[in-house]
Amino acid sequence: MIPKSLLINRPASKKILKVAEKQFKGNDKPLFAVIGDLELDSSYGEGAVYVTENRIVAIGEGFDGGFFSLDFANISKISVKRMYGNAVLKAVTTGGSSVDLMRFTFAMADICDAAADFITKVKEGESIEDRLAAVDNTFKNLRSFCPKCGRKLPSPNADCLNCQGKGKMASTLLRYIKPYTGKLIFCIFLSLVTTFAALVPPYVTSLMVDSVIPGGDKKMLVAVIIFLLLIYVVQYGIGALRAYHLRIAGDGIIADLKKEIYKKAQYLPMKFYDKTSTGSVINRVNSDTTVLQQFMLRITQEAVVQLFTMIGIIVIMMCMNWKLTLLSLIPVPVVVCCSRYFGKKIGPLYRRIWRRGVAISTILSDTIPAIRIVKSFSSEEKAVKNFSRQVDDWLYEDKKAGKVAAIFPNVITFLITCGSVIIWFVGGNMVIDTPEKLSLGVLVSFISYTSMFYNPVSFFANLSDSYQNALASTEKIMDIINAEPEHDFGKDNTLDMIKGKIEFRNVNFSFDRSKKVLNDINFVINPGDVVGIVGTTGSGKSTLINLLMRFYDDYEGEILVDDVNIKDIDMGYYRSQIGYVQQEPMMFRDTIFNNIAYSLPGAHPEQVLNAADIANAHGFITRLPDAYDTMLGERGVGLSGGEKQRLSIARAVLKNPGVLIFDEATSAVDSETEKLIQDAINRLIRGRTTLMIAHRLSTLRKANKIIVVDKGNIIEFGTPEELMALKGKYYKLINIQSMSEKVAAEKAAENFE
Amino acid sequence: MARIFIDGNEIHLTVKDKIFCDVEFFTGEKLFNLEPRRLFPVSGHSEYITFLDENGEERFILRKLENMEENQRALLLGCLEEYYRIPKITRLISRSEKHRIWLWNVETDRGNYTFEIINHIQSMKMFYDKRILIKDGNDNRYEIPNIYDLDKRSQKLILPDM
Repeated sequence: MIPKSLLINRPASKKILKVAEKQFKGNDKPLFAVIGDLELDSSYGEGAVYVTENRIVAIGEGFDGGFFSLDFANISKISVKRMYGNAVLKAVTTGGSSVDLMRFTFAMADICDAAADFITKVKEGESIEDRLAAVDNTFKNLRSFCPKCGRKLPSPNADCLNCQGKGKMASTLLRYIKPYTGKLIFCIFLSLVTTFAALVPPYVTSLMVDSVIPGGDKKMLVAVIIFLLLIYVVQYGIGALRAYHLRIAGDGIIADLKKEIYKKAQYLPMKFYDKTSTGSVINRVNSDTTVLQQFMLRITQEAVVQLFTMIGIIVIMMCMNWKLTLLSLIPVPVVVCCSRYFGKKIGPLYRRIWRRGVAISTILSDTIPAIRIVKSFSSEEKAVKNFSRQVDDWLYEDKKAGKVAAIFPNVITFLITCGSVIIWFVGGNMVIDTPEKLSLGVLVSFISYTSMFYNPVSFFANLSDSYQNALASTEKIMDIINAEPEHDFGKDNTLDMIKGKIEFRNVNFSFDRSKKVLNDINFVINPGDVVGIVGTTGSGKSTLINLLMRFYDDYEGEILVDDVNIKDIDMGYYRSQIGYVQQEPMMFRDTIFNNIAYSLPGAHPEQVLNAADIANAHGFITRLPDAYDTMLGERGVGLSGGEKQRLSIARAVLKNPGVLIFDEATSAVDSETEKLIQDAINRLIRGRTTLMIAHRLSTLRKANKIIVVDKGNIIEFGTPEELMALKGKYYKLINIQSMSEKVAAEKAAENFE
Repeated sequence: MARIFIDGNEIHLTVKDKIFCDVEFFTGEKLFNLEPRRLFPVSGHSEYITFLDENGEERFILRKLENMEENQRALLLGCLEEYYRIPKITRLISRSEKHRIWLWNVETDRGNYTFEIINHIQSMKMFYDKRILIKDGNDNRYEIPNIYDLDKRSQKLILPDM
């Protein structure tokens, strides 16, 4: 029978359940089941596998009778075969025939891996309970999705950061306006004053035309002119004051936005950068913030002002002549309809322009820092052509948007002009036929108000243009602002000190579900151990380190340091306890002193000198004309690879970490420099747990333990002596390298002779 | 080991288990359980096919599928199609967005399916031949062979993001 509390990824359909129920009777119970999402012929549909203690039952339409049962004893190999578009759980029987048990999309890949691992390990004699615990772990990881938005949660029952306090786009943007509310309200007040001032001159015009000029009252004329001048002084003087305050508020908003995006970008997980180009991030910080700021000001300022202007004008016009007012409103519905049409038309165009803009930024951020490579391959022309092509693409899209953006405002203006023409025609007739009902002065004044009235109408009509443009930018900015940051579940949870015990328990990891990078990693490193990690390129050595550094958190299983899950330790504290020296040391555009002190801000100069000395860097630094004040170029230009590496080690020394990691620290330097670096490393690792990824096995002389990684699996783990005795992969690697070193030494000797 | 290039007719294939094949050279040398893979799966479907052994080591490269004898070519194409089978989208039934995750409901040559796209910009790529490749939140791939062959509504929904 099938237990009610069966471990299963999703409920099985009635059809599957019906077949499954027939398969399990009495004590023959499945331990877990996986429901797939493809038929065996890769059509979307359903398949399933049920796994018991000693057999696997595959259910699907592709099997005779709808199922296929296979005892573990009859399986010689079971694995997940990942293909380009989907994957298959395949079993090879002891008779040598191959059976596809279930086909599935990559959404199911992790769980099917766990099923294959379970069967393989149980067949090898491992305890069912232990292996089931590993499967359970995978199921939990798979099932931890936010019930609201469906996003994968970092851990079961964790709060979904995506749904936490997230309102609509507008409410997010309002956050940035809030600090400047006072200033913006003040600006609105000033705007109301200028708007009121702007409404006065047309009224004065009607007085002039109807009474002052025909009456020949020169005193009155001078008084009216002085009044008009005063109104203009108020209008433009206050306008200037408003413009200043508006700029201050606008710049503040843009500065806050840029800071916020940069801050968010610093805390985003590595996975975000794996999938997002730097050009795209730079574009968001630079261009999109400006677009958004302009839009926010338009909404908070112009929209309010224009609304008040429109209401003011309508009231005045109604008081003057309601019939003409209604006539002047005729084009409004047409303008609104045009605006909606325009918005739909221009929105997609702006999105495409944005994409082209990103492509341009990406080329810039790729090629400008790599200008040496471009020059060394004489690829300047190719780079220019490539760039031109992208710019042309952008131009093409921009032209299309330009065409729409140019036609629309003119259509609107034409409609507005038609409104004025109607007023002239009807009003002119009224002045001629019934001058007692409408005077010439009132008509002239009315025409002035009509043209003023269409400014707000035109503004609101065109608002959709800037709205669409801003929407495109907002979406991109929100991608960063709303992106999930690195999870720091153990915030403020620090240990007294990190002694250096490291344990990997059933760790599985893949950057991309179509390819598994680490597979069931288990090992324990004791405090003070010096561990060499060896393996061929792409075997997963650096990924092990990436997980230990918490650059990626979405792995299955557990990583413990001093018996505490690293996810439960404060991330800042945890990383501060690890010294990490990379293969390609990154230097900042700063002095050598500041580059070393980067790991310990506020370090005393003597601490930095001491660290440089331990790292064998002090000697070459003192020989530089500006010594520790030497300004390094971008990425450390001006120093050799070995010198940069020693500065990088000095950084690690200054940090005084409990755990040290060297990721092929000496792979890119000559033998002499390697010796200098190796001496520095040897001084640094005393008493500290050290992990060393090494290409040259000679650099692992100090290692008391070796981990051999191959295709994402740990195939050997032990002391160097044990592994040599094992005569496995490590033994072969040592032999190959000894042989090649011998040949190299002989050749060098020959050349020397 | 020097890379071995094969022009076409120097080998004889026998397909095993859909995506694997045994290969016999005209010299009589036999290689078993090889997995043919395209070296340019996106840009060049019929050129440079590599043959990997069980350890993932390359044994030789076939330059052009066209150079093979018709029967043999059909066998190899069958292997490759099985390996590179991805759903071809024939219609975008609906598309919605919530919390920056796009939900696509599509009609494909393998049935209807719903998937999520986390990042529109990174997950969709259009090529100059009007082909669009899409990768969903679970790293599954989909193809639109020619966007302009889809119905107008699907085009209208997809093209603005290209």
